[in-house]
Amino acid sequence: MAGSMTVFRKEMADQFGSKRFLILLGIIGLLSIMSAYQGVEYLKNNPQRGFLAIFTGQEFGFSFIQLMVFFGPIIGLALGFDAINKERTSGTLSTVLSQPIFRDSVLNGKFLAGTVAVTTLTISTIGLMIGLAIPMLGFGPTIDGAFSIISLTLLTILYLAFWLSLGTLFSVLTKKTSTSMLASVGTWLTCVIVISILASLIANAMVPLPSFQGTFTQGNRTQGGGFNPQISPEYRALTEQRFTIQSTISKVSPTNLYSEAASAILGVAQSRAGFGIINTNPTRTLTLSQGLAASWANIAAIAVGLVICFVASYIKFLRSEIRPGG
Amino acid sequence: MSKPIIETKDLTKIYGDIRAVDHLNLTVDEGEIFGLLGPNGAGKTTTIILLMGLSMPTAGTAIVVGHDIIRGSKEVRRSVGLLPEAAGYYEDLTAEKNLEYIGQLNDLPKIECEKRVSELLEEVGLTDWSKVKVEKFSRGMKQRLGIAQALIKRPKLVIFDEPTIGLDPAGTKEIRDMILKLNREQGLTVMMSSHLLHEIQLTCTSVGILNKGKMIVEDTIENLAKLFSEHQGMNIEFKLHNATPELYKEIEGIDGVTLVNQQNGVLNVGMKRDVTIEVSKVITKYGAEILLMKPREYSLEDIFMKYYEDGVR
Repeated sequence: MAGSMTVFRKEMADQFGSKRFLILLGIIGLLSIMSAYQGVEYLKNNPQRGFLAIFTGQEFGFSFIQLMVFFGPIIGLALGFDAINKERTSGTLSTVLSQPIFRDSVLNGKFLAGTVAVTTLTISTIGLMIGLAIPMLGFGPTIDGAFSIISLTLLTILYLAFWLSLGTLFSVLTKKTSTSMLASVGTWLTCVIVISILASLIANAMVPLPSFQGTFTQGNRTQGGGFNPQISPEYRALTEQRFTIQSTISKVSPTNLYSEAASAILGVAQSRAGFGIINTNPTRTLTLSQGLAASWANIAAIAVGLVICFVASYIKFLRSEIRPGG
Repeated sequence: MSKPIIETKDLTKIYGDIRAVDHLNLTVDEGEIFGLLGPNGAGKTTTIILLMGLSMPTAGTAIVVGHDIIRGSKEVRRSVGLLPEAAGYYEDLTAEKNLEYIGQLNDLPKIECEKRVSELLEEVGLTDWSKVKVEKFSRGMKQRLGIAQALIKRPKLVIFDEPTIGLDPAGTKEIRDMILKLNREQGLTVMMSSHLLHEIQLTCTSVGILNKGKMIVEDTIENLAKLFSEHQGMNIEFKLHNATPELYKEIEGIDGVTLVNQQNGVLNVGMKRDVTIEVSKVITKYGAEILLMKPREYSLEDIFMKYYEDGVR
């Protein structure tokens, strides 16, 4: 344990002094200012929504949740992808591991320091957003809203820690930092874009939509003699079926698990399932306990993913051979 | 009586089909400077990482400073300092910070750690560089920092893996003097690996020659040299003035002479037994003068090459 704490202290100093962390903090800061501004604009246009809508409202572009869906993986992976293999190639790992510590101390210390770093990023982002939104709106969250924000913060930390552990796993599995970086970028693109596209393709193949003519029932003639197309119930059923397939497939991606869970916590039932599908009814609201109940499986899945990545890194690292220079 | 500080028992490490270390039995006594010698790929580094617990042996084990390397790996690392081959440092930290980190990993209390760090930086001559980032260091300086890093835990045994690789002659000598000083003044047992035979000869008291993971021979350097020259007979070099071809012929005829060859003005005479007097009489008989006469010493290189070839066979 003493070894873990020594590694932790050093890694903390490294993380917080690194340009990488400052860059991430800068990006996150900028984006959270933008999303706070958007959230506030959205709230001004939709005054019936509560304070929490600053995290979900999208007036022109990304909401906070979408930012996290998009940039969260980058943050976590960037902090973890070279944790072990950098020390391996620079030759410091054999020096460190020839000291009287157990090998797991190195992983524990590094992971703990990374978690503190993502926690700092999350809290500063959410804090910044709230700090900007309250003076702009002139009102703050309700007590329930505050609990939702705390839940959202914890969920975001868990989500980022998952990406951190995946990055750490890549750094254990690969010898070169360039390889683990490539693996990280690949995973990021897969989760953020490829799975959504794949889900649409599969849904399209499984439930093909009828041709355009069949799409609308014969419209009722309206007073002006205009043509008012109405969506037929069959068509509606088909799109719903497609939506179910798409969102089921999308659940493979932790980003979608997170966005579903975060939306539920904030009282919005599924505002988006991947790119391109926007729920037509985002105003359905849930209480925090309903939201947590609805997203429990998602939260558990992210936590399980984190544990799996961490244990896999552990097993691989404890068995690995530490040769000088790789 | 000296007692063993490293004792390996049929230590074996197999990678796929390759036996990197093959039933290795070696003993290093306290107070020695032991040289682990062998061509590239002989298993020197593998042996060292096995001893430090950085890799698990396939079979066999070893006792290092009284602890089993498998069950007591952490205790071994508590009292053995290692300078790894191509040792790396945190380049963006200062020399002082690098050493402090290693000190902390050894559970040194803060004040003692700081004291020890400045002491060691003094010892390896890096005091003026203590606040400089390691990325600015030359190879020789990094290697000296590596020695300080290996010593911070006040080890009973230090293992240097190829300590002088890539250093210029001055840097090599510095490291060599430092190793000898540590051994002499602090009674530290040193194990060093090298493929530089000359280096081992100048530094070590005993040597083990490793080839293909097996210990081919393990002995003191004097014993090895003696053994080798007995095996090969005597060999004497003459530098002559006014030598003639007839002279060489006559020397060849002397009973007991096994080999006569002449190159670069030096006459090399191999003999089964000591017939130096007969040879010099013949030389003077032909009116030639002996400018220089000396027995040819076997360098470790000859020994090494011989054992290496035997090992190959």
